[in-house]
Amino acid sequence: MTATLERVERTVEPITPRPHRRRRNVLPNALGLMVFLVAAFPVYWMVLTSFRRGVDIQKATPQFIPSPGTLGNYRKVFHRDFFWTAVKNSLTVTLLVLVLSLFIAFLAAVSVSRFRFRGRRAFVIAILLVQMVPAEALIISLFRILDGWQLINTILGLTLTYLAFVLPFTIWTLRGFVANVPKELEEASMIDGSSRFRAFMTITLPLVAPGLVATGVFAFIQAWNEFIFALVIMNRPENQTLPVWLQAFNEGAKGTDWGGVMAGSTLMAIPVVIFFLLVQRRVASGLTAGAVKG
Amino acid sequence: MENSPIMEHVDGITPRHRRVRPLPYVLLAPAVVALGLMLGYPIVRLFTLALQEFGLKQQFGAAAKWVGFDNFRAILRDAEFWSVLRRTLLFCAVNVALTMVLGMAIALLLQRLGSKMRLLTMLGLMLAWSMPALTSTVIWQWIFDTQYGIANWALGRQGQSWLSNPLTFYFVATIIVVWMGIPFVAFTLYAGLTQIPEEMMEAAAIDGARPWQRFRDIVVPALKPILLILTSLSVLWDFRVFTQVYVLQRAGGITRDTNLLGVYAYRISIGANQFDKGAAVAVVMVMITVLMTVFYLRSMTRQEEL
Amino acid sequence: MRSIKLAAGLATLTMVALSACGSDSTSSSATNAPAPAATTAAAPAAAETTVAPVPADTTPAPIVGGTGEGGELRLWLNGGDTPDDFVKFAIAEFNKKHPDVKVTFERQQWTGIVEKLTTALSSSDSPDVIELGNTQAQAFEAAGALKDLTADKAKLGGDDLLQSLVEAGTYDGKFYGVPYYAGARVVLYRKDLFAKSGLAIPTTIDEMLADGEKLKADNASTPNFSGMYLPGKNWFAALPFIWVNGGDIAVQDGSSWKGMLSSDKSVAGLTEFQKFIQETSGAPKDGDDSKDYIAFCNGEVGMMPAPGWKPGQIINKDDGCPAMEANIGAFAMPGLTAGTTSPAFLGGSNLAISGKSKNPDLANELLQILVSKDYQKQFADQGTIPALKSLLGGITGSDAATAQAKAAANSRFVPSSENWAAVEASNVLPDMLVAISGGADVKAEAAKADAAIEGLLNG
Repeated sequence: MTATLERVERTVEPITPRPHRRRRNVLPNALGLMVFLVAAFPVYWMVLTSFRRGVDIQKATPQFIPSPGTLGNYRKVFHRDFFWTAVKNSLTVTLLVLVLSLFIAFLAAVSVSRFRFRGRRAFVIAILLVQMVPAEALIISLFRILDGWQLINTILGLTLTYLAFVLPFTIWTLRGFVANVPKELEEASMIDGSSRFRAFMTITLPLVAPGLVATGVFAFIQAWNEFIFALVIMNRPENQTLPVWLQAFNEGAKGTDWGGVMAGSTLMAIPVVIFFLLVQRRVASGLTAGAVKG
Repeated sequence: MENSPIMEHVDGITPRHRRVRPLPYVLLAPAVVALGLMLGYPIVRLFTLALQEFGLKQQFGAAAKWVGFDNFRAILRDAEFWSVLRRTLLFCAVNVALTMVLGMAIALLLQRLGSKMRLLTMLGLMLAWSMPALTSTVIWQWIFDTQYGIANWALGRQGQSWLSNPLTFYFVATIIVVWMGIPFVAFTLYAGLTQIPEEMMEAAAIDGARPWQRFRDIVVPALKPILLILTSLSVLWDFRVFTQVYVLQRAGGITRDTNLLGVYAYRISIGANQFDKGAAVAVVMVMITVLMTVFYLRSMTRQEEL
Repeated sequence: MRSIKLAAGLATLTMVALSACGSDSTSSSATNAPAPAATTAAAPAAAETTVAPVPADTTPAPIVGGTGEGGELRLWLNGGDTPDDFVKFAIAEFNKKHPDVKVTFERQQWTGIVEKLTTALSSSDSPDVIELGNTQAQAFEAAGALKDLTADKAKLGGDDLLQSLVEAGTYDGKFYGVPYYAGARVVLYRKDLFAKSGLAIPTTIDEMLADGEKLKADNASTPNFSGMYLPGKNWFAALPFIWVNGGDIAVQDGSSWKGMLSSDKSVAGLTEFQKFIQETSGAPKDGDDSKDYIAFCNGEVGMMPAPGWKPGQIINKDDGCPAMEANIGAFAMPGLTAGTTSPAFLGGSNLAISGKSKNPDLANELLQILVSKDYQKQFADQGTIPALKSLLGGITGSDAATAQAKAAANSRFVPSSENWAAVEASNVLPDMLVAISGGADVKAEAAKADAAIEGLLNG
């Protein structure tokens, strides 16, 4: 950890493995494939089920391809009331939470890992403590304040709620990443005449890209999949988010239309995967941009 | 982290920076406002609820009576609470250990993979992560279903229940929790690994350090802040696992023998409308988590990392 | 580079998929547009409603009626039990008298309904008329969340209301929850398998046991076959055995509750239930009844206790087996002697007005329509037990519907306590039954359950 300065320059390297490594990669590749299979199998089963006729979903002898398959489950999803409103609500809330939480958390992370100031330690401990409180225990009180502010059944109300639960985590995690960015880089840019704040935004921000990606994916998934707060805060059908909407296929005692649930879940996974594919490059190469200056 | 040059520099840039600077407060303000606004009142209220008699009647306007520590007494005297707590601690320890070890292994693996294979592996993890907890738990429950599960089909033990025995119940629950927890840990550690300069590893390799030594002497210290953060988060999450256990309990097994704290608290507060006792359980859970992380907090404070 | 292409490709694919579906469902995207007077339009899509896990509520527009100048009402009904047509009928009736009042129908889901009611009923934007499961009603009545309707009881069905649902709707002598509809548990059986084994509908419990054993023996070649399908967690199925032997779950003794499961009579019933499981059932011993229709469709079931709507689920086009329809028979579970029935568990719903309703009088009028004969007749016509006794004779149609009406005549309910929800939440009864199904000592398990129930009901 002492060699902080030069570390930035070469990290681009592992992205393009040198040719002589190829042959030695049999074992890692086999392991990677295994990880992929184990991780993705339940997902495969979900997608498979979404193309199955209801009668074929639970069989004593499992089938690994959907034959005879059906698109009926997807048709049900698209035709069910409020699907598109739920898509719109979910996307709006999720994107708002993503942008706001990353921005606010980055500023806070810089603050606590780059400065010493009165109240800093209290803040960091508070951030950890807040995460220890089970969110479910706060539902009723949170609902009450949102009601007082007339924010029940509003996108803003749900966004603020998610922000409150995602922020401690994003700050907590980003802190580690900011701390790992050598401070000398900022100073170098300040010598060039940049202001401190500008240095954070132009130097540090790109350098913590991997951390932003990891926490951003986390924030995205949290907001996208959250159920219980969305259930109570958005209690009008036209305000539902997707996870709540999906429950319409679950008739409680009367059984569940699993084909519909799985088709809906599959569709719900697509934006997450797209988001990930768009940002995943940054996990590995987040340091490239900053390295030029370093 | 006595090695943190960063922190030393923070204050030491120039003496004139020692006056109260507004910048850190400005940077912190949005977070403080958002959290204070949304969580301040609910958290304070959680502690007051725990000291009141508060059920559905009070939720609908009846005056809440102060009862001191009665709720805590009721919880702590409940024999079930203690067996649930014991189970939860054990479950949490096993799950955190598995998640961290496997997550670290996968992160190291990702680093060794070519770009295509790495993308594939990450995509698999990402797919797992993107599944809503409810959906993935249901799928796993199907996999281990007594009559229609492919686990039983593959093992040729059709008709035998995985959930009726608490041990196998927790085995299934652990698989689900670890499976869901690994992607985030692996991604974050991999992101951390890319921040370690290649030169350090190469220099160590030239010095004749074995892979294990390089891991122990370079990777672990370099990743220590992230490892600690991830471990603490995993502890927090696995300590109050809810969905996975709740869904499995609906499908099989005996609830009384398989409750973990998260589910236990839910059954008390939302299920039985005893918000007061539910709040007390939540407060006890917070205190236990503080105890579990106190070592971490102290080491952070001591090493001035905080 | 690869990844970008892949991502771009995926994104394009999704766009195509999205736009394709978008154009294909222009009607359903109209969902959000308020449709002012969609009240009388008969929805052809909803007409084909069967009682299936997927309610066919695919009507393109939300059900809203009235202009809104004279006030607004929010109507919450849960799950798929009330088809859209019923609601449209009710709103149209209401708007005849109050064309200036806007009624918004919001279909809620049973999943999470307690959380929703707990919060929404206490908020400034409360729904006005709500539906509650009959086992949930007492808690909200006791809490003071609902409007006292005692004075209007006569207008809301009065003495014609189903007694057991009235009990669920009454707390401390006051009437809060108006019965809405009910469903009684019956026994479904395979007509063809009965014929093959030369069996007739059993007239006593002993006969039923003998039939179950014979069915299991005659169909031994089918794996997991159940003469009587009894997964361990299905506590509704165990209750008739307890009740018919004179036992009960708990009884009120002065101001406190006393658990009765370990009483001799209850133990006799539970022992009989255990015998049924051991000798006739092939269902998972710790399973619930959510997969019973699949087992039925797979031909693994000779008889099974089930709610009256279950045949609809079995033959649903989606994941059921419509071809099975002709083979499904139903009877009310027989009693100890010929000619009697065992007391059946009566499930159902109550309607209530939120204590926070801004227009309680209008809500009351809407409620009156929902329990009117014209409205309730729709339930009888589709084979659901209506809230009005005078309409019970009108339940016709399938075997299951008539068996249900017969079973409802001798039906019982869980202990009427505001704390009953706690007993259900902690799964006391399923835990006991799973243990008993696994061969545990009945008396000991029942005593454990009694202790837990007493703690919760008196807590």
